[in-house]
Amino acid sequence: MPELRPTVILRMGSHSEKEYIEKTLKQFDGVMVGANLLQISPGATASLLFKLNKSCMRPYYVDPMTYAFGQYIDPDTGRVRDDLDWIKSDQKVPGKKGGTERKFKSSYRKLADYFGEPFLTALDRGRALTQADFSSDEVIDAACQAVSRFQAERLREVFKEDPQTAAYANDFPSPAALFAPYFYVEPHRAKHWLDLNHRLALSATRQTKEIPVHVVLCTHLNLLTDTDLSALVINNLLACRPAGVWLWFSRLDERSAGREQLTALRSWVEKLANDMPVFNMHGGYFSLALSKFGMAGTMHGVGYGEQKDVVPVIGQSTPTVQYYLRALHSKYSVLQIQRCFTKLGIRNPEDFLSKICDCTICRHIVGAGLNEFSQFGEIHYSSPKSKRAAQTPAAAKRCRYHFLLNRILERDFVEKSTLAEIVEQCSASADMWSKTMIGLSAAHAKLWAEVLNSVA
Amino acid sequence: MTKYRNTVTKFSKEADLLEPVARFAKRRGYCLQTAELPFYEYRIDLYGFSHKKNTTVAIELKLNDWRRALEQTMLYQLCADLVYIAMPESSAKRVDKSELQSSGVGLIAVRDSGSCTCMLLAKQHDEVHQPYRLSQINYLKETACA
Repeated sequence: MPELRPTVILRMGSHSEKEYIEKTLKQFDGVMVGANLLQISPGATASLLFKLNKSCMRPYYVDPMTYAFGQYIDPDTGRVRDDLDWIKSDQKVPGKKGGTERKFKSSYRKLADYFGEPFLTALDRGRALTQADFSSDEVIDAACQAVSRFQAERLREVFKEDPQTAAYANDFPSPAALFAPYFYVEPHRAKHWLDLNHRLALSATRQTKEIPVHVVLCTHLNLLTDTDLSALVINNLLACRPAGVWLWFSRLDERSAGREQLTALRSWVEKLANDMPVFNMHGGYFSLALSKFGMAGTMHGVGYGEQKDVVPVIGQSTPTVQYYLRALHSKYSVLQIQRCFTKLGIRNPEDFLSKICDCTICRHIVGAGLNEFSQFGEIHYSSPKSKRAAQTPAAAKRCRYHFLLNRILERDFVEKSTLAEIVEQCSASADMWSKTMIGLSAAHAKLWAEVLNSVA
Repeated sequence: MTKYRNTVTKFSKEADLLEPVARFAKRRGYCLQTAELPFYEYRIDLYGFSHKKNTTVAIELKLNDWRRALEQTMLYQLCADLVYIAMPESSAKRVDKSELQSSGVGLIAVRDSGSCTCMLLAKQHDEVHQPYRLSQINYLKETACA
């Protein structure tokens, strides 16, 4: 079992997160952007990645997002959908006042243009790709070539297209790895999707030699604990031997996961880590702790994003960015934390800084007075028409920076600690906080300790 | 997950409890009142202030799920001197009062007739965060004047 240095890759979801990445990337281990972001804002994305690479010397990755062209499970009905609706949006019809039309988002349209067939066909017919669209090896090889070329060359091409940056195009570093095209393994036809993903992985690894090729396992959560399918995937991966594998069990939330799921995740890592680096595509502290079992890294966004459904939740109001509590490696509302002060004997800023957090953000805010802690939850009515008060952008920003600083501390703690020390920290924190009103939602830390400590 | 038996009551939604509970609170001196008072990401179903007692009360209306109500009211203790859960009488009878008691949370039962009875008195507690309490009182005064 290789014990690895834990790493954290930040995923940039939009350019509004640029500031966080710029200010903290030096202390993280890499950055990832989605291919759709690159296609919708090529110049800005390329410039940012170039600048980050020069200033931080951190690797970058481009997620090709090919799964967006496949089938998905409707989160509301649980049914398989192949209408590609989640990559569409209501767009204004020119010349028709108030009229809208549901069309493919231009980022995905441009992505399909670049990838070529069969991605273009999927958009033209308005129906998701299936295994039948990759019937021949030629189609598979061509798709892998296009997707790899996109990740390896697109940023250089963007620089070349602009006279102001053309001279630097050849200085653009390559990504740390290329991802083979991948599709979501929906449970009703799991074996078919696994087979297609395997063929794509084989083709991509065979064709690309200059840059390491990584594989993404993007699947329904059930596969995590399905013994037969797990064995099939692991055998496929061992046969393909990619330079890395990224696990993405849709909706797997380390904090609400049960013992069986957490144990299974640990088991996946143990089975693969001797042969290839294993990353969690959307993970948190538990995945960091799994570095003691061979997990090479975990990725998340700047405002948490430690779990992700394949289909993003659309149309809901902006969620409140809650306060990250390092002791429990989880987030809680400002009120929940404040309500624990009395039980924990926190009566002044010094108590807070010693018992909860003394990161730069907390020192600056809570150092001025314990009551100032409420700044993390500050709310306002964003417009005169708003019916509900929402978190102020400044409060959200404080919570995000606080989280990122804490994530660095957590990674460093895992790196320098033994497994026994990590287990002890989780267990002791769960005990301490169990006396407070958030005791029930602290149970995950105890479970993590047990799963990490159990004999395989 | 806790399952709740369906009970026959005239209250089909939490808002149905508001009027009788507000009347009850008014009779107890909490004349300055507002419903749905924003408190961070929460909305306090009923918040009241008694000038005479210089005391604030927060009341969470619930049809069944008293555990969820307990979690919410414990947070409301940050801005209110007394906190209560108000439920239809049939639901209130099934609440584990010792759990409420240990947190200082009171319980009001609402009969189908609309009359209310206090099944458990709320206790004064040490959790009040004065800036929150004062800001809620000011809000009440401002909205009362408006």
